[in-house]
Amino acid sequence: MRAMIIDDSRAMRSILRRIVTDLDFETSEAEHGQAALDQMRAGVVPDVCLVDWNMPVMDGYTFITEVRANPEWRDVTLMMVTTESEQRQIVRALAAGAHEYVIKPFTPDAIVDKLSLLGLVPA
Amino acid sequence: MTTSTAFASVSALVRRETSMVYDEGKEYLVEARLNPLAAARGLGLEEYVARLAFDADERRKVIDALTINETSWFRDHTPYQAFTETMLPALLEGRQVTRRLRIWSAACSSGQEAYSIAMLLDQHLPAGWSYEIVATDISTAMLERVRAGRYSQVEVNRGLPATSLVRYFTRVGRDWEIAERLRERVTVKHLNLAAPYVGLGTFDLIWLRNVLIYFDAPTKADILRRMLPMLADDGYLLLGSSETTLDMPADLTAAWQREQIGRVPAYRRASARTPLTPSLTSTGA
Amino acid sequence: MSAVLPEAEAPESADLLAVTEDVWMALLGDDGVLLPRAVPPGSPFDATAWSAATTISGGWHGVVTVELDEVLARRLTTRMLALPAEEEASDSDVADAVGELVNMVGGNVKSLMPGPSVLSLPAVAAGRAAFSSDSALACRLDLVWQDAPVRVSVHVPQEGPR
Repeated sequence: MRAMIIDDSRAMRSILRRIVTDLDFETSEAEHGQAALDQMRAGVVPDVCLVDWNMPVMDGYTFITEVRANPEWRDVTLMMVTTESEQRQIVRALAAGAHEYVIKPFTPDAIVDKLSLLGLVPA
Repeated sequence: MTTSTAFASVSALVRRETSMVYDEGKEYLVEARLNPLAAARGLGLEEYVARLAFDADERRKVIDALTINETSWFRDHTPYQAFTETMLPALLEGRQVTRRLRIWSAACSSGQEAYSIAMLLDQHLPAGWSYEIVATDISTAMLERVRAGRYSQVEVNRGLPATSLVRYFTRVGRDWEIAERLRERVTVKHLNLAAPYVGLGTFDLIWLRNVLIYFDAPTKADILRRMLPMLADDGYLLLGSSETTLDMPADLTAAWQREQIGRVPAYRRASARTPLTPSLTSTGA
Repeated sequence: MSAVLPEAEAPESADLLAVTEDVWMALLGDDGVLLPRAVPPGSPFDATAWSAATTISGGWHGVVTVELDEVLARRLTTRMLALPAEEEASDSDVADAVGELVNMVGGNVKSLMPGPSVLSLPAVAAGRAAFSSDSALACRLDLVWQDAPVRVSVHVPQEGPR
């Protein structure tokens, strides 16, 4: 399995990378939505994206909309990992095509549980 | 009072009041759960334990602290899948007339199991059917939590699908509160599983998961024996993934018929499902 | 009633504390215990500091600021980046880590207040935080983590939200 971690904070990318690497995922990283799209267009298409919401250049919500607009990427699972925790924001992200949503701060178990709900790691 | 006598005295207290067993080797757990209580009283652990003999309120808190099960939404996934795919359709088939289901979440802890079931029934129960989930626990603090139906962000972050979070919960300050229409289906009752089951009625499905491990073998057998009449003839009993009736006395192994549903073993009442013929009744059990 | 600010004008300090504790526990597990620190009202943050702020605007307006002792900021950064013990976090690493910290606290404060609102990207500085003269302190927490001080504060516009 390949995970792309999209977050403007290196520290947060590092935390997420350690969690999914322990689950035997290969990882790639991007510091905002545009950089992630560029990588995907260049052929680095992951099984799952862990996407922050608030980022410079392109935010996570726009990124999700862009990914869902491209039928070639319909198998890419999208999971928001963000401090945005207003109910309406979660509803918006799901409506735009996010499959799961983890609220920051999170414990490693929360990420593992959600990846397992998505069928990406054995329960 | 030394640490080891303190541990012995706490484990005797818990055993006396709940029949739950804290063997040697569980010292770390007792310490981890009691230290905050001792600290709240400004006492060291040993001093605090010595005080329990005279203080019923603190005893109650200790029982609460030591009987809380780790829990999560849709714990282990597979039992919930087996429930919606196999058990629920079979139960619906047999209840066309009453159109009602009763489910027992035994040792319900903070209620995540009960409300996980409620969410599934909300999605899968046909129109015109009703249900009741009875959630019992020995900890009154936990029962209060079930009644309130409020969970922290840390709790809703774990194992609860985001679609269910936004569908069934509303943010109330820092917490998330489960929908009234699910809360009103869950009846909360204080119950020690080692004591008689009075006034509960019978159930179509009993979730008795990850709690038998806390009891000694005779109590475990006694609980499983007294669960038999609590279950409808065609009902199901679910145990935790590491629990089984196989290591029980022969009469119990025979009385609970194991039925594999996908990866989940469910237990059913053998006598009710395969009635004894007259020629066999004389041989006894 | 019109002259009285609505009750939801500022977060409760108990809520701010719980949010901050959640962030520390998530990042540091059992090592994340924060202790209260008695500081007289009005005193500026008394440590060589890093400060990070994020602005909430929309249904509610406010600025959430985290100020941290230098040693604490570096220790936290080392933990977040999982750097080897002998490796020193760079200033840019510290800025990144404390920025993420205030982002997490700020996002959760935003959810406690009337919405919808937008959370700004974090602004991080080496040194004490500067607060705009037209803002008023609404809520402040002084805490200690591993013997080093940290302060979390929420400021709101003084002249009303608009």
